[in-house]
Amino acid sequence: MLIVEDLVKQFGDFTAVECISFEAKKGSVFGLLGPNGAGKSTTINCISGLLRPTSGQVSVAGFDVQKQARSAKSSLGVVPQELALYEDLPAIDNLRFWGKAYGLGGGKLESRVSAVLDTIGLADRAKELPKKFSGGMKRRLNFGCGIVHSPPVMLLDEPTVGVDPQSRERLFEMVRAERDKGTCILYTTHYMEEAERLCDSLAIIDHGKLIAQGSVAELSAQLGARDVLQLSGAFPSDETKRAIGSLVDSSGLDLELIAQEEDSITLTLSSASQHLPAIFQALSGAGGKISETSLRSPNLETLFLLLTGKELRE
Amino acid sequence: MNFLLSALIKDLARWREDAAAILLWMAIPLMIGGLITSLMDGGDGAKPSGVLLIADLDDSLLSGLVAGAYSQGELGELISVESVTVTEGTEKINAGDASGLLIIPEGFGDAFLESKPVTLTLKTNPSQIILPGIITDVTEILLDAGFYAEQLFRDEIEVIKAAVDDDNIDNAVVASIAVAMQQKIEAAAPYLFPPAIDIEVVEPPADEPGVPLALLYLPGIILMAIMFAANGLASDYWTEREQGTLRRLVSSPGRLAGFLGGKSLAAGVVIALIGGLTLIIGFLYHGVAWAKLPSSLAWVTASGVALFDWFGAIQMIAPTQHSANLVTSMLLFPLLMVGGSFFPLAALPGWIAAFGRKTPNGFITDR
Repeated sequence: MLIVEDLVKQFGDFTAVECISFEAKKGSVFGLLGPNGAGKSTTINCISGLLRPTSGQVSVAGFDVQKQARSAKSSLGVVPQELALYEDLPAIDNLRFWGKAYGLGGGKLESRVSAVLDTIGLADRAKELPKKFSGGMKRRLNFGCGIVHSPPVMLLDEPTVGVDPQSRERLFEMVRAERDKGTCILYTTHYMEEAERLCDSLAIIDHGKLIAQGSVAELSAQLGARDVLQLSGAFPSDETKRAIGSLVDSSGLDLELIAQEEDSITLTLSSASQHLPAIFQALSGAGGKISETSLRSPNLETLFLLLTGKELRE
Repeated sequence: MNFLLSALIKDLARWREDAAAILLWMAIPLMIGGLITSLMDGGDGAKPSGVLLIADLDDSLLSGLVAGAYSQGELGELISVESVTVTEGTEKINAGDASGLLIIPEGFGDAFLESKPVTLTLKTNPSQIILPGIITDVTEILLDAGFYAEQLFRDEIEVIKAAVDDDNIDNAVVASIAVAMQQKIEAAAPYLFPPAIDIEVVEPPADEPGVPLALLYLPGIILMAIMFAANGLASDYWTEREQGTLRRLVSSPGRLAGFLGGKSLAAGVVIALIGGLTLIIGFLYHGVAWAKLPSSLAWVTASGVALFDWFGAIQMIAPTQHSANLVTSMLLFPLLMVGGSFFPLAALPGWIAAFGRKTPNGFITDR
């Protein structure tokens, strides 16, 4: 339903998106994950026609976004990260205007507007101005403007940023409802727990590059049962590496040093809690001082850490 | 077409929420126009008037005649005479409450009749220019007239004075004096009535009735309202950009031409409303023929939409909303100055008027 092939977008010498390819299927939520500045919004903008790709191809519902732009755009519902509403136009008129922008009219438009108002829970406040709405209500109306024309493909660009937990849950319900109707949804976020809850398949990008792709189960399998151990304090560089190497040699642990800074190190190993005393002893022997310890079970967040050596939200 | 109408209705509905701005766009030029028109029309047309204080210490028949001379004819419309004591008069003139203070000294009448020197004191208000000058000139004329009358009727005055002193005024004396004075007046009449020197006042032929200066401001004032409205409405492009609706539009199949056309039409409706109201007010005030209203309104509306599109293009070229507002303000006010809104093009120096006619609003005002 949504196919991105070898997508490249450059701004002068800077490459924002570097040869990204993925495919999102009908009736599924495809997560595009990555930290801020990873290239998610640039990818979305290339798909929605706001940016012209430097190279590569994007196809929406079978229409090439470059060559069949109008048909491709008609098949897309966009829910941008920032609100895109007329705050001085009643909610119902916002929906009507965007419905007409997507070619709806007459009875079909009115029935869709009515249905969408019910879906987003604003039927009783349809004639009020959005500037009087709460942040969550505005988010819902923003979502409604993206689905008023029943698009087969939706782009949701970080729709939960700045949203309270209750509204976030409501938004998740709406996304699932659209998916269950058969809509293909591309959902970008930097919240891994959102991706784990919502997405059927994922692509993780960083610095414009795609670094992992697959279903949540497939990606979790990449991590195996390895925990992630993060230690803060002071760690002499060479001595720490030698101490970790010696520990692996002497004990046979599947211990791996994945990131090292002067004031922190990140390790990954199986059943980490059972081996903490040996690790602490080895690091102390190397002149390290531990002030804080963090042990995390395997999840997408730790997978990103494993793949990139840094936190997703850095 | 469907989307164009949708964009038109959308913007009209949105702008209706900000009716106060529309009223302000119209009210500011009307206020400025009202002030300018009042200045050009000279207010209520009242002539300037002043107060002459007279302290008559002589209290004689002659001093009364002098005081009364200031209240005669057209002079009386300019100057109102108020009798005061010297102290009161001095206080008032020092406080600037009068145009002049004339002090007629005691013994003025006797000195006049006896051809003795006498001094009248006239203090004028230095903060006034015209009225004190008139009072000074009138006083000098009165004194000259008195001098010549005294010279002409010296003999008769002597007879009158002697009769008064002797308290012997009988009808024969009065009759002889009257006859003598009549004969002298008749002898002098050929020189006085008409005067030996006559002035012929030659007036140029009456021009065609000119356009009142205040009326020349009307197009500029209306265009000022239209320019304020066009500029204010054009800033809506930045509002759309800031609230993300332009981005959403670009990612939709909605035609940009329909969107822009709808916005221009909506601007045209608002401008026609503002232009229509200001035109009606101007036509009513200046008594312009109503038959000219439809064509004037059509011209003002079309011009307003063109200005709206021009301001809109400038707004969208600017890198930020702040700089957009700055640029349009920098253009707006000089254009209003040279384009005929603050000063009629006909009243501007030639080279400025020539430049003004080349500006968008000057071009519109000039037609």
